[in-house]
Amino acid sequence: MADATTVRDRGAVTAPRSPFGFGWSWLGLVPFFLFSAAFMFLPVSFLVFGSLQDSAGSMTLQNYRDLSRPDIVNAFANSIEISAITAIVGGLFGFLLAYAVILGGLPSFFRTSLMTFSGVASNFAGVPLALAFIFTFGQLGIMTVLLRGIGLDPYQHGFSLYNKVGLEVVYLYFQFPLMVLIIAPAIDGLRRDWREAAENLGASPREYWRRVALPILMPSILGATILLFGNAFGAQATAFQLTGGTIPIVTNVIGAQIRGDVLHNPGLGYAMAMGMVVIMAISISIYTVLQRRSERWLRS
Amino acid sequence: MRCNLKLENPPLTRNHRLFRTVAPTAVLAMLFAACSGGASSPAASQPPASQAPASQGASQAPGGSGSGGADLTKLIADAKAEGTLTTIALPHDWCNYGEAIDTFKSTYGLQVNELDPNAGSGDEVEAIKANKGSTGPQAPDVIDVGLSFGPSAKSEDLLMPYKVATWESIPTSAKDPDGAWYGDYYGVLSFEVNTAVIQNIPQDWADLLKPEYKGKVALAGDPRVSNQAIQAVYAAALANGGSLDNAQPGLDFFKKLNDSGNLVPVIATAATVASGETPITIRWTYNALSNRDTTAASGGPKIEVVVPKSGRFAGVYVQAISKYAPHPNAAKLWMEFLYSDEGQNIWLKGYCHPIRYEDLVKNNKVPQEQLSKLPDVTGAVFPSLDQLNTASKLITTKWNDTVGADIK
Amino acid sequence: MRSWLQLRRRPVKGRTERGRQRARRWASLVFLIGVLYFVVPLIGTFLHSIRTRPDIFLAYRQVFADSKFLEGLRYSFVVGVITIVVSLAIIVPTAYWVRLKVPRLRPVVEFVTLMPFVIPPVVLVFGLIRIYSAKPLALTSTNFGSDLLLVAAYVVLSFPYMYRAVDVGLASMDVRVLTEAAQSLGAGWSRILLRVIFPNLRTSLLSGAFLTLAIVIGEYTIANFLARTQAFGPYLSLLGRNQPYQPAAVSLISFGLTWLAMGMIAFLGRSSRQRVQVAGAR
Repeated sequence: MADATTVRDRGAVTAPRSPFGFGWSWLGLVPFFLFSAAFMFLPVSFLVFGSLQDSAGSMTLQNYRDLSRPDIVNAFANSIEISAITAIVGGLFGFLLAYAVILGGLPSFFRTSLMTFSGVASNFAGVPLALAFIFTFGQLGIMTVLLRGIGLDPYQHGFSLYNKVGLEVVYLYFQFPLMVLIIAPAIDGLRRDWREAAENLGASPREYWRRVALPILMPSILGATILLFGNAFGAQATAFQLTGGTIPIVTNVIGAQIRGDVLHNPGLGYAMAMGMVVIMAISISIYTVLQRRSERWLRS
Repeated sequence: MRCNLKLENPPLTRNHRLFRTVAPTAVLAMLFAACSGGASSPAASQPPASQAPASQGASQAPGGSGSGGADLTKLIADAKAEGTLTTIALPHDWCNYGEAIDTFKSTYGLQVNELDPNAGSGDEVEAIKANKGSTGPQAPDVIDVGLSFGPSAKSEDLLMPYKVATWESIPTSAKDPDGAWYGDYYGVLSFEVNTAVIQNIPQDWADLLKPEYKGKVALAGDPRVSNQAIQAVYAAALANGGSLDNAQPGLDFFKKLNDSGNLVPVIATAATVASGETPITIRWTYNALSNRDTTAASGGPKIEVVVPKSGRFAGVYVQAISKYAPHPNAAKLWMEFLYSDEGQNIWLKGYCHPIRYEDLVKNNKVPQEQLSKLPDVTGAVFPSLDQLNTASKLITTKWNDTVGADIK
Repeated sequence: MRSWLQLRRRPVKGRTERGRQRARRWASLVFLIGVLYFVVPLIGTFLHSIRTRPDIFLAYRQVFADSKFLEGLRYSFVVGVITIVVSLAIIVPTAYWVRLKVPRLRPVVEFVTLMPFVIPPVVLVFGLIRIYSAKPLALTSTNFGSDLLLVAAYVVLSFPYMYRAVDVGLASMDVRVLTEAAQSLGAGWSRILLRVIFPNLRTSLLSGAFLTLAIVIGEYTIANFLARTQAFGPYLSLLGRNQPYQPAAVSLISFGLTWLAMGMIAFLGRSSRQRVQVAGAR
């Protein structure tokens, strides 16, 4: 497995071994860790302490025990499901879209406009997005009325904007653009001569994809997918406006505990946030394993 | 002169006297009249636990026509020295706060720093807690929160007690005896109906269950989060065989509403009502009426506001001053302003029933045209704090089972 | 690896031409579907916003009547640019260093960059206030200090996107070879970063910049509680959520203006010469 090796340089002295086993190189990451500590971990530390307190302020583990309540487990399950599905579907079509504008032979103006549009759309979430879909695909939405006019009422055929599928369709609005923006540099990095070389050797487009392009792109695709997962996992306002909390997701339940008009238990909210941290950590481990495998091909 | 002597009395005696004069307004009026021009409050920067009303002439608009007491003048001067007031969670179209803030600014020349207008009560309390050591513009001076937040914030020692000049005319059930928090306005839950989509307008809670309203009824919030929504469920209980002590029928009602497909899970806003997505929305009369006006002003569909025949439930919000307020005098002046006749009338213009409503009407302080615009809310019931807390607990814990994830 | 390729020798020219046409048709189809999906909800919003009578653009007029609109946009744009610069300054060297020298710490760094997804913005802002309102670090009491806190918070929010964009860009070029080559020519670390790494990350940096700017312009929770009411987000939230047609107009206007801002950044970031592709993945 790849270890950190100092760059071989003519006449350079190899770095002295530190007790950490990979040299003193980690010091180069200190600015990043310092900044994160000062402006993220430290301010949020009271979240950790708060999760160990009850409403009266005394120490307790009850909040963590409460995490096994069926309604909270349900919220986590919903969040994970919605995030995973929108990450995969978003990743797929986002990738296709990016590939289409970069290597699909379309005018370059399409690429610029898609990139800039994606920049805006990636953050078009929350109340405006929910309302946009309500105005378009709601029961009296413009598209719905149009379709009803030609005899194809979507609501009669089982479609509803207000269930999980509807929510996922709405989430994709900011997942597609995110994928487009993140994967674009990787697609840029696919050199045209590789494709031509593969074609010269007689590979069909499918073979080129399966054997050359996809393996090269896989690490980046994986990385982008986990970003999409986290993005959907942390989203809150869109689902809240659209479904009024009837589809319980973790972020909304936390919000209800911490922010609402009705007195609740912020300690439970903080414990749930810690639960989210654990889930992200697990996702990253899975992703890292897959990453290493895909990069192994590149290194051979 | 009498008033000066009163103020120099030890607090205990003054408290007793205050309690005993909760009597007729006439007595108060005499007291006020006698004390005009005499009273001077001790330095307003100390948090006085049981101080006599700062200005005895405040049954008129403060600073308006000259007979406000010297302490009101001193309060104004102190507030001006501070220069700014920091508010939070005051949307301009909620109870006409926009006009209240503008009038306050222009009358006293103070700046008003408005923090998040969409904050919930939990946010407001959290903002006070987080800003304990801060004197910057992030620390709110005054808060406007749901009824149950008053006592809980007081128990966490976050509030600065203060009794406005018109303290006596605030109903006892709507204020903290120590002056830590005090009710400000109330409204009743009503149906906001988009008449372009709904021809047959529902008149009562039972009507909402009719099959013609399939997919048409919505709440303006999530009952686990918003006061307005949770009290809608509570109100439905009153109309369906429940009582202030039993909110379960409300949950049953909404279960029926959801199972029949009449309930739309969207959080209703003025936009969704106007677009017809949530043509029947359950919200406070003042919000519904204000929406009606703004929609009409934009040429949108005609909105009708119906106060249901049964199940009239009144919800009270409370005001309080933060103990860590960076501008305590500005905060007190703001309270004096809000509880003066002028301030209460501004709220009334926003279709809210100000907490001193009975008193104002009795003294003919309300312009007739305003009175006629108010909805008829006779028979509205007010829950006590305990009843509210019990019902809230029930509704928030049971809501998930009532309206599960299988929305039709 | 060559065996399967040797089995399929086919004539090259015609296939490539047909292949290219087919690719273009397929790309156009994908693009069209994408455009439809993105544009239709915006059309729905627009049609709702012009339901006002008798003046169908009443909602837009009301939004523009307030002079604070442009001020809010200007302030947020400036904060956005500063955030982008700070974020790049922290993330690019970090991502580069991790790839080059300390791959073992990569999961740790990625975990840290994904944490902003998990932290509710309210919790972050109240935490920042708690810590930075007491002496000796009383940042909240001054305007400049609060602006600083705002930028710091936004930099934190931009971490996931910025890191991932830069990481993908670094994956697409051979970092090790480039570094060795530059070092053998005598370049120090700063020169390597500025003259070799940054220029080859152009697409990534643009993506990251877009994402960060969108976040800054749209964000309002943190700006509100830090009392930065001159920012665009808080201004929008004051406009009244309970207006029937204004929110639709507002979201379209802010969409359009943010798109314009992106266009400006894209324009500033365009390469003045033909991009030389230095290396792809091995």
